[in-house]
Amino acid sequence: MHEFTMTSWIVEALFDLVRKEDAKQVLEVHLRIGKLRALSTDQVRFCYGVLSKGTVLEGSELIIEESAGKIRCGNCGYQGEFNPEGDAYHFGLPPLICPMCSSSLLIEGGDECVITRVRMQLPSTAPESTALS
Amino acid sequence: MTKPVEVVTSSEGEVFDIELEVNILKENQRLAQENKQKLESKKILAIDVMGSVGSGKTSLVKAMIQRLKSKFRIAVIEGDVTTTIDSDLIASEGVPTIQVNTGKECHLDANLIRKALNRMPLDQLDLIFIENVGNLICPAEFPLGSEKRLVVISVTEGPYMVMKHPMMFLDADVVAINKVDLARAMEVDPKKLMTDIAKLNSKAIAVSTSCKTGAGVGDVIEALALRAS
Repeated sequence: MHEFTMTSWIVEALFDLVRKEDAKQVLEVHLRIGKLRALSTDQVRFCYGVLSKGTVLEGSELIIEESAGKIRCGNCGYQGEFNPEGDAYHFGLPPLICPMCSSSLLIEGGDECVITRVRMQLPSTAPESTALS
Repeated sequence: MTKPVEVVTSSEGEVFDIELEVNILKENQRLAQENKQKLESKKILAIDVMGSVGSGKTSLVKAMIQRLKSKFRIAVIEGDVTTTIDSDLIASEGVPTIQVNTGKECHLDANLIRKALNRMPLDQLDLIFIENVGNLICPAEFPLGSEKRLVVISVTEGPYMVMKHPMMFLDADVVAINKVDLARAMEVDPKKLMTDIAKLNSKAIAVSTSCKTGAGVGDVIEALALRAS
């Protein structure tokens, strides 16, 4: 959920970076999205396409890595991974209940949404520096 | 003659490849922290009121205000998609009320609360209720900077509201199960809802309420530790 809001925050963060580096075009954007963030990566891609249209982001490749959900039981101390796959959020997410003692689980990780890498085209450099490469 | 242009655009050296760690949620977290600090510096207790559409959030806030307004200087931030129906209801209690209309969004975020706080007479307040948009899903994802979280559900939503929306209850301090005067007609057992809440969050205090009869409103006030000192 909130793919449009989240993606517009991602796009704003990218615009900040573009302004800072004075980039002319963004080529590639890498994201890390936790499996417990409740974001559909398909919808993030769709929103990114819509929001990047007509901007320096248009045509850039969006590469999304999904990170594992980490949970811990507040009662018995059970720790493990919790990885709803694919559309599990839409179709039958198991409840956050400890498999060992049925107490409530705490989310320890895998709820992030992070830009991890950006490749962008900088403005033309001076002829002598391009000659070096 | 066109050669120099070609060399410049195709140069590998012009691609800037940067590895970084830009946390997209951080801006909301930062603003929430700012709100929290601002409230703490003014010694104001802010309470998030979240819950389902039509569960009785506004009625409960109104009922609490009636009992508390002689002891605390209260204000309310009312979040809704549109209209001022709720803030008009609250304002009739004579407390400062700001309506925040989210327009397209299904929840409040820290930036909207920051803007609302900027318009409030913070030096003249002890307590702020922040009533979120009716929604058992999204508000859990966007911290606002308040100190306590009250979640309101009601028996008219059926017996499975808690298990179906676990995220909302994980950080709740107090959960009000409202409209218990209708429990029998709805064939919903409030005790069963309380057991579900305890399973998800053993620290949350669950209280049965009826804003119609006034039952349990005092218990919610007590659970939120709002007794005047």
